[in-house]
Amino acid sequence: MDLTRAKIRDLRKMLDSGEISATELCKEYLDKIEEKDKSLLSYITVTKDEAMKTAENAQKIINEGKASALTGIPLAIKDNICTDGVKTTCASNMLGNFIPPYNATVIEKLNAEGYVLLGKTSMDEFAMGGSTQTSAFAKTKNPYDLERVPGGSSGGSAAAVAASLAPAALGSDTGGSIRQPASFCGVTGIKPTYGRVSRYGLVAFASSLDQIGPIANDARDCAILLNAICGGDRHDATSAKIDTPDFTEKLGQPIKGMKIALPKEFYDGVDDTVRACVTDAAKELEKHGATLVECSMPGLKYAIPAYYLIACAEAASNLSRFDGIKYGYRGEGRTYNELIIDSRNKGFGEEVKRRILLGNYALSSGYYDAYYKKALALKQEIIKEYSDIFEQADVILTPTAPTPAYKIGAQDNDPVKMYLADICTVTVNIAGLPGISTTCGYTADAGLPIGMSVIGKRFDEQTILQVADAFEQGFVPVAPKF
Amino acid sequence: MAVDMKTIEHLCGLSKLTYDEKGMEKVMGEMSSIIDLMDEIKGFDLTYDDTNDKNEIRFCDTREDIPEKSFETEKLLSNAENTDGCYVVPKVVE
Repeated sequence: MDLTRAKIRDLRKMLDSGEISATELCKEYLDKIEEKDKSLLSYITVTKDEAMKTAENAQKIINEGKASALTGIPLAIKDNICTDGVKTTCASNMLGNFIPPYNATVIEKLNAEGYVLLGKTSMDEFAMGGSTQTSAFAKTKNPYDLERVPGGSSGGSAAAVAASLAPAALGSDTGGSIRQPASFCGVTGIKPTYGRVSRYGLVAFASSLDQIGPIANDARDCAILLNAICGGDRHDATSAKIDTPDFTEKLGQPIKGMKIALPKEFYDGVDDTVRACVTDAAKELEKHGATLVECSMPGLKYAIPAYYLIACAEAASNLSRFDGIKYGYRGEGRTYNELIIDSRNKGFGEEVKRRILLGNYALSSGYYDAYYKKALALKQEIIKEYSDIFEQADVILTPTAPTPAYKIGAQDNDPVKMYLADICTVTVNIAGLPGISTTCGYTADAGLPIGMSVIGKRFDEQTILQVADAFEQGFVPVAPKF
Repeated sequence: MAVDMKTIEHLCGLSKLTYDEKGMEKVMGEMSSIIDLMDEIKGFDLTYDDTNDKNEIRFCDTREDIPEKSFETEKLLSNAENTDGCYVVPKVVE
């Protein structure tokens, strides 16, 4: 069976018509993972036996005619989302043997639909990075060019979908970790509005910025997956207690009359190829009847320090729970303090340690006002600037990343370079907005995907899905030759 | 250097991390570059107004404080080493 870029909705039809059974479909993917993932390294854990068992159960539901949108659909899950009884490592030695005693809320919701868990995908350690090369277990490669990074931190999820080792996956996005790897791997990924999806069971990086979201082959599949995982949750006080719309509702509706803002600062510091590609995509949307609106976001200049100060301050606090006592890597020591230090020294990788140090720097006495409070002031300013743009536009269009996927090792030993590469995505998290990245072209020489991001108003995922879908309907994606 | 060795040692203490001598030199260089980047924020001339915070995060209603069944002790202890029906730690009074 040719699974290349298979869509959830097509697989649904095949399962419901009996063209293929849930167990056959599951086995097709498991076989492909076994054959191909040795060189791609997108999965940390493949749940072969459990997957076949849940597929059998899903088939019974299908046979009874009671299938939901995801019944029997195999999915990959980022390895920082807790799965009861299945290792959840966060790609860190600290959690190398951690088996959660509970499911994240998104997993409970997917279970209720009868999905099939193929396995847990690799990521940057504790979601800190944009290349998946800080993973302690699987340094994932880009299926378009195995010498290049897949992006990150949800690089395993994006690469698995791009290489058709899963029809769709869940990722998490704190500063671009769904959208940037989606862009590098030529797939579609949406970061929902902060509060749209419960964070319960997502291993915390920066709690005011983290959000779980889908990565799939197109906006339509993202909408299907988003429908399944949204909603308020008593276990997450920051999840929004508001009605969840049907995210597929506006798909296919014309975007004529829609106003699309292009903030010039987002286009200033990016590669010429990326700028040209996203600008062409904007013109394409104009042909659909949308109006392009030029605008400005001066606060973008300070977005990287603001983001890293807030994210690392929260990370330093969140990661203080890893002491080697209740779970996680346990070091050695004659005293309580020695044990904690040894556990953290050996459990955490270098990038995680750097971010903990930076977070504690920003929060420590004498620096708090100059750094952390200033970053919070910037956050207020960025929210205001977005709000001003949305006074005159329905959505915003930007590049997803300043460059296409770069060579493995190109940013090693240069954390500043790595941080600066997040410029196009971090403000969306700072302001808590929804953003979707979809492919808008390929580089002429190497055929590497280039992504564009559509940013929407709070809780208006429907409109950004509609715009991304309108573009995708006239775009012919090129699957990797992997 | 934006940060000196004394500051790095202080941060390591707060972070419960240690480095050997070579590691300290390396991390001091990296942290200096990172803090140079963070210092750009000082060019932004606004102060934080916590009375005008537009985080717009909607918090759910707090739930009733009713005891309910939680996780089984055995399951929670399954990820800890050196358990004897409880978490075992080295001496805490140094």
